[in-house]
Amino acid sequence: MKKILNAKIVEKHWIWAIAPVIIFLVAVIAFTSFAVTNKDITKGINIGIDFAGGSILTVELGSDVLNNQEEYNKHYNKIESVLTSNEIAKQVVEYAKTLGIDISESAAVASISYVQTSGSGSEMSLVIKYDNISSTFDTKTNELTTYRNQILENEIKDYYTNEYQDSSITISTSYIGATASASLIRTALIAVCVSLLFILIYIMIRFEIWSGFAAIIGLVHDVAMMVFLVIIFRVQVNSAFIAALITIVSYSINNTIVVFDRVRENKKKLGGSFKNDVKNNVVEMNNKMVNESIMQTLTRSINSTITTMVAITIFAIIGTASVREFALPVIFGLIAGFYSSLVIAPSLYCLMKNSVDKRKIAKRDGLKKSPTYAGAKVK
Amino acid sequence: MKKWQSIVILTVLAILIVLGSVFGFLSLDNGELGITNYYAYITNISLGLDLSGGVYAVYEVDESKLTDEQKSDIDNLIKGTMASLESLLFSKGYTEAQVTESNKRIRVEIPDEDDPERIFSLIGRPSSFEFKEYVDGKEGDLSLNDANGKVKLEEKFTGTDIASTGVRYDDSTGYYEVVLSFTEEGTKKFSTATTALTGSQLSIWINDEFVIAPNVNSAITQGTASISGNYSYDQAYDLAVRIQSGSFPLVLKMSESNTLTATLGSSAIKAGLISGIVGLVLIFLYVIIMYKLMGVAASLSLWFYSLTYLFFLSIFPWVQLTLSGIAGVLLSIGMAVDANVIIFERVKEEYRNGKTMRTSILTGFKRSLGAIIDGNVTTIIGAVVLIAFGAATIKSFGITLLIGIIISLLASLLLTRLILECILVFNDESKAGLFGLKRDIEKGIPEEDEQEQEETSVGSNKKTKRGGAER
Repeated sequence: MKKILNAKIVEKHWIWAIAPVIIFLVAVIAFTSFAVTNKDITKGINIGIDFAGGSILTVELGSDVLNNQEEYNKHYNKIESVLTSNEIAKQVVEYAKTLGIDISESAAVASISYVQTSGSGSEMSLVIKYDNISSTFDTKTNELTTYRNQILENEIKDYYTNEYQDSSITISTSYIGATASASLIRTALIAVCVSLLFILIYIMIRFEIWSGFAAIIGLVHDVAMMVFLVIIFRVQVNSAFIAALITIVSYSINNTIVVFDRVRENKKKLGGSFKNDVKNNVVEMNNKMVNESIMQTLTRSINSTITTMVAITIFAIIGTASVREFALPVIFGLIAGFYSSLVIAPSLYCLMKNSVDKRKIAKRDGLKKSPTYAGAKVK
Repeated sequence: MKKWQSIVILTVLAILIVLGSVFGFLSLDNGELGITNYYAYITNISLGLDLSGGVYAVYEVDESKLTDEQKSDIDNLIKGTMASLESLLFSKGYTEAQVTESNKRIRVEIPDEDDPERIFSLIGRPSSFEFKEYVDGKEGDLSLNDANGKVKLEEKFTGTDIASTGVRYDDSTGYYEVVLSFTEEGTKKFSTATTALTGSQLSIWINDEFVIAPNVNSAITQGTASISGNYSYDQAYDLAVRIQSGSFPLVLKMSESNTLTATLGSSAIKAGLISGIVGLVLIFLYVIIMYKLMGVAASLSLWFYSLTYLFFLSIFPWVQLTLSGIAGVLLSIGMAVDANVIIFERVKEEYRNGKTMRTSILTGFKRSLGAIIDGNVTTIIGAVVLIAFGAATIKSFGITLLIGIIISLLASLLLTRLILECILVFNDESKAGLFGLKRDIEKGIPEEDEQEQEETSVGSNKKTKRGGAER
């Protein structure tokens, strides 16, 4: 027990930086390779229809068909196979060349975001939302998307005319923009930044200035790690991801605060004895105190993270694919938050605190003009 | 606390928990016990588009009413209209409505709650709105300068000067009235107009029809006004929505409307509920294994917390549960468990360092208060900022989180403690093991231990003090 309590954590700040840096580098590589292979920078990250805009295909099949699971599957599978057909993608790539755009075949295949039914009775329709060719909104790619929508629509119409001798089925495609979602991201980012600012102020008042900065940098680390991991694992980014980010920001700060609360308490125990210390001792003592605080709160941090992880993991296991898209980033964030509150934020705190304390002592000793004992330098 | 007191408290709690569980999860609508119309309160929680599906409407811009100037600026006007639509829907309780645009058509999706068809058709029938001077039963035009040289409005006061509308019950008349709040521009205009008209009558015209002509007793500079026309709630609500639609930069026409199913699939809500319960049960097992009887107290308090939380979610009108809302719920549960864990770890530590069981528990609660309060306050700050600044979906996350955090603070700081104290009455010091409490074997006798602990943590400090003395 004592051995663990004397663990050196904050002294090893360079080691703690390794994991985040590696994740960052892998994310950069993943982003670049996906952007390059798809010849489209927006494909570096898997942006969902919420943010990128997309298209809606509506096929009016009626409730008789859609409420019958077997029939539903048959029709849906057929429509899905048309949407994701490579033949159509090839045609789109050909057409793109005539417009002077160079896109890859994989980028031209529609990727389905979600499926709903709409309406009732004979007007009940299958509604499929899928991505646009590119989320950049220039006229050329828009034309390309419209072109693809037209082919898809015709292909499905042909299928129903040939298979069912039914040309009366209403099939339509329409294009939806992402303007509202762009403002969603903006307001979400503003909200997150403003709350970070308020949290910073609160921690600075309740704790120390340096605890505030360290905690906020820790949060930024968590958010960054979530984004990087999402890039690496190609998790689809939609509005649920924003919710996940905010979830982690609110949760992770709590972890950090528990550690800093211990530091605050331990410091109180030691009282004002710091004032008589020489530089090297201050560093040693700050480090020791923070290390102890981390170890004292370790069990709690592990238990809390595990219990929250249990809840979210079960949600992911039982839930649908979209639920998993939300839960996965949260799990990434929980791990990142655990890591940052245990090692990153405390290490940063010690780095800042030590350099400030050293300077204070140097200044004090300089004023006394008594640079007699070792370790104190006058600047 | 005496034994009988703790028995009473525990019994009351047990009854509350059982009743809460029954009312929370069991619907009595098939004539069981002779009741046919009780629905479990969790079924009253309103659900967002992604969980319950809803209705959508597509609006087209009424091009015939566009001026050339408007046509050239159409993109910005559409954006403005969308923003106005969002705020209108939000203020009318559709916190989860989604507004998107494609090819100059605005698509609005609303979860299937509270008759959204009605608000759709109201938006498509906007009302024009004007304030005018009222002289001898006839309208006088505020935009005209009169011969007496009174200061009059240079521009007409119209719908675009209105920021938002609401409905209010007037106690004195027993009718509802429409409350208008003006934009900055509108406030100025209205203040100028009422200054000029003090002592005479002002008239309100909706769709060029005369509504009411109140006396202007004094200049109104606050930027709000109300229209009382002896309305029923429905009339006032309709009027409020239509006036606000009239304030949109563009006139909208509804082109289609239909129902939608849940984007997450109908199973998502069931999944949320099942995972909530399974998750809770696993958490209970975990805390009971880790903290024995203290864990039991925490589990009771957490279950009570969950029931209360669900109850508040079902009664608050601004709550519309979506996937992100569920995230807020899970996070709050996580925070509630966390608070208990912080306390229990502290209690264990205090006991390890030689305190008696009772003192350990009391000190544990006291010493962990700081961490819990600070942790929750930062989360509350986050939630409040999200509600204040966030877009619709984020707001709903903030609201569920805020409700959850506040209840969880009460549950962990008060309820867990109360239950623990009740259990404590039946257990003396020798039963510490039942509470998951252990002395530190390595350190030997408690009293010495306390001192040693002091020694280790201030060790280096003392050394330097000595060093200082030598100086």
